[in-house]
Amino acid sequence: MSDRINPRLARIWRAIALPLLLLAAWEASTRLSLVDPHLLPPLEDVIARGWTESRNGDFVTALLASLGRDLAGFAIGALIGTTTGLLLGFLRPAQAIFGPTLRVHRQIALFAWVPLIAVWFGAGEPGKIAFIALAAFQPSLINTWRGVQEIPDRFKELAAVLTFSRLDFLRFVGIPAILPAIFTGLKAALIYAWQATIGAELFMTIAPGIGGVMMQGRQLFQMDLVLLTILLLGLVGAGFNTLAGLSETLLLRRRTS
Amino acid sequence: MKRTFFAALISGIFLAGTAYADPTVIRIGYPGVGVDNQPYGYGDTASLAHVGHFVEDAFKDNPDIKVQWTFFRGAGPELNEALAAHQLDFAAGLGDLPSIVGRARGLKTRFLLPASEHGSLYLAVSPKSNINSIDDLKGRKVAQFRGTNLQIASDAVLEAHHLTEKDVKFVSLTTADGLAALTSGNVDASFGGQEYLDLQKRGIVKIIYASKNDAPIFGTNSAFFVTEEFEQAHPDLTQKVVTAFVKAAAWGSTEANRQAVFEAWAKSGVPVESFADDLQGLSLARENTALIDDFIKARYADKAAKAKQYGLIKKDIDLNSWFAPQYLETALKELKLENFWPTYDANGKKLTDGTVESQKQASAQ
Amino acid sequence: MARAPLPVSLSLQRLVLQNSAVLAADQHAALLLSGFHPAPTGDALIVSQVQQELWNGSGARPPETHVSFSGTAGDQPGASLDRINAAISDWVGAHAGRLLLGLSFPLVLFIVWQASSLYGWLPDQILPAPSLVWQVLQDRIGDGSLWDDTSISLLRVLRGFTIGAAAGLLLGGLMAASRRFHDYLNPLFLAVSQVPTLGWVPLLILVIGIDEGLKNILVALSVFIPVTLGTYQGIRDVPHAYREVGQVLTFGRTQMLRTIILPAAVPAIFTGLREGLSNGWQTLVAVELLASTEGLGFQMAYGRQLFQLELVIAAMLVIGLIGFVFDFLLGRIENHLQRWKVAA
Repeated sequence: MSDRINPRLARIWRAIALPLLLLAAWEASTRLSLVDPHLLPPLEDVIARGWTESRNGDFVTALLASLGRDLAGFAIGALIGTTTGLLLGFLRPAQAIFGPTLRVHRQIALFAWVPLIAVWFGAGEPGKIAFIALAAFQPSLINTWRGVQEIPDRFKELAAVLTFSRLDFLRFVGIPAILPAIFTGLKAALIYAWQATIGAELFMTIAPGIGGVMMQGRQLFQMDLVLLTILLLGLVGAGFNTLAGLSETLLLRRRTS
Repeated sequence: MKRTFFAALISGIFLAGTAYADPTVIRIGYPGVGVDNQPYGYGDTASLAHVGHFVEDAFKDNPDIKVQWTFFRGAGPELNEALAAHQLDFAAGLGDLPSIVGRARGLKTRFLLPASEHGSLYLAVSPKSNINSIDDLKGRKVAQFRGTNLQIASDAVLEAHHLTEKDVKFVSLTTADGLAALTSGNVDASFGGQEYLDLQKRGIVKIIYASKNDAPIFGTNSAFFVTEEFEQAHPDLTQKVVTAFVKAAAWGSTEANRQAVFEAWAKSGVPVESFADDLQGLSLARENTALIDDFIKARYADKAAKAKQYGLIKKDIDLNSWFAPQYLETALKELKLENFWPTYDANGKKLTDGTVESQKQASAQ
Repeated sequence: MARAPLPVSLSLQRLVLQNSAVLAADQHAALLLSGFHPAPTGDALIVSQVQQELWNGSGARPPETHVSFSGTAGDQPGASLDRINAAISDWVGAHAGRLLLGLSFPLVLFIVWQASSLYGWLPDQILPAPSLVWQVLQDRIGDGSLWDDTSISLLRVLRGFTIGAAAGLLLGGLMAASRRFHDYLNPLFLAVSQVPTLGWVPLLILVIGIDEGLKNILVALSVFIPVTLGTYQGIRDVPHAYREVGQVLTFGRTQMLRTIILPAAVPAIFTGLREGLSNGWQTLVAVELLASTEGLGFQMAYGRQLFQLELVIAAMLVIGLIGFVFDFLLGRIENHLQRWKVAA
């Protein structure tokens, strides 16, 4: 279309075309009364709700509480997962010993652990954070482990040929080779941690949180609140992703691929 | 001279330091949350004790003792988990079924006093529904907060209509979720409590069964429990807490406080009018009694037997050693409430009158 | 002389890919040293892979000899039973060590579990004894309820997985094929994928209720996202070097797709599929926990509500086992599709 005019403009247009269309359809269906307003409140209502809620101290507290939980759990889980992954990766028989168990563990729903976690850590904050940490633990473990395993043999041979010391090996070969994998793990862990945060708030004792706000909206049939929270969840998720992507680009800048 | 002085000073500071012991925390759990997820309960004296700060007041002269309430969205079942993990000292308002299930699984608790009796069980359907009675529930999808006292109460009602759990497709949903599910037509019917009265008023649902229109043996119960661990370690604190609970029950049984009681319960998000409707023509004292009489003992025996019959528990439980009426009796004596409440026999027929009723009559004049 | 000529495309594909792999690998090595070429090990491996293929094609076991393109190796008639026996014992022999190691950690866990219930480290209500779990499993297998719940959950996951994977492959492929398509659709896709799956639950319950539709949509959604990503990444990440080789060899679009792009994208696509299946299971269990009348997730919720955690654990074990089988199968298929690949 307007590629000749300005490629960047064209790309921006393409990016917003569909969302704009959807918003227009939304507005149209409200104006033309195509949909039950209970199910799909007018766009303005949702925006207005967003405006009032942002002033509402409780709402902001809820959001901050969820974020705090999420980051705490993520930090703990990712740390333990990455370290374990590193250890296991450098241990030859570890794959055979722990691999199958880990594969089975992956398939067991996270939420099945809720009763056990509630007992060991309590159903309040520690429990939720433990749950989130468990969710973050797995992807960081698996990705780091795989990263260590997949240091191409060539690199190891090369290091042997150049008679690298263990430290040099780590510095010039090991860490640069593992870092991308670690980052993939961290990105995945971030996503899973956020998912687990919402899950924890839905399944465990009440406390301020976005999950609670969502439940409230649903139970009180305030669809605008539900839509608003979904929007918020998406924004936070997107924020995390952007942050992760940025830091990855920054830290791995020297990599040529 | 100086040396001994300093020695004394230091040892004195040290002793003073150890005297400042860590505060003992009394951990009380309540099975349920308000309809908008607020940490408030309703329909029993436990929630009254919480709102009125009765327990906290009992210890306000004791800076070493803190009282902590926890509200469990997962109701009885979740509270049981906390009990098993030694995370609670008292269970306030725990429903009959969860307490029975817990005991059958070896949870070591003592039954202190009831928190509610004759709790209402309602069956709500959508106004256009073709379900008109319990019999019509066969094969339909019904919301029910499983594991709570609602389950066993509804099972008993089903049994009276020759139905079992297998004849109905039960979906376990929390109170609030059940409300939402029925209103949006996701389930055909929903068993619940007073929270449905407001919806009926607004024409959103139709209530086709109310346990209070049925025999007194239908309906839910709940009670206060203490863990054996806490009781053995702190019998004095246990007594104080029980006394506070009894005070709350007495307050909640006095007719002059009727409006205040409803307003306290309304903090859970259920409107005041719902409680007024639920208890219309009925005395507070009947619902909020604190006595361990034949009626409540029979109720629990009956529920335990039914629980085994419906396969909800695997073995029988020992009821006699469960009840610990001594704390209640001491509290009644201390508060001079020995004859305050009426007593009832196993079937709900009144045995003796209580002074609280003459109060009601007095205020009615 | 080779017994039967390999289809040209297969051998060509392999040669093309091997050399491309060498080309790509060089770029990595350039980080450390320029002009470093892989050791001869690479070439010998290529040869042995081709030989493997030959022998696999004939059904006979490859001889453990030095590399050689010659020889037809006997396909002794009437030796099929012996061959099967030999194959099984070889497999077990080769894998016995791995089997033992693989079971060692679960064994340790089991011992700890048993000790815990013997010595009461964790309350019995929270961690029931293994014997109790075993009892429950037997009971439920006996009265058929385990099969009922399992089959219902399996069907739900398979339905959701099929829908989600198909949609994901389609969208991922389209986005990778056309830059324009990607620009239009990606923002919306990103937006949807940022919302945690469970976050949609309140909205969906209000709109479509708690029936099968809810489970299908949520499972499909949780599968759709990683599959789309995996497909898109896989196809886009096919190194330029590979495509160049294809262009040099004047491949048409179909051939490019079949012999270069798809095989090279397979790892990422399969990672996406495996993650999708794993997600699908997790989501199904979560949704069944929240609102269901039957199924394995429902069993877990039911067990928790009635304070019979052995039901929870029994259901967990079955879920883990099934998930493991799924993952194993997908892994096998992936290996099969990647048999051209050489350890770089």
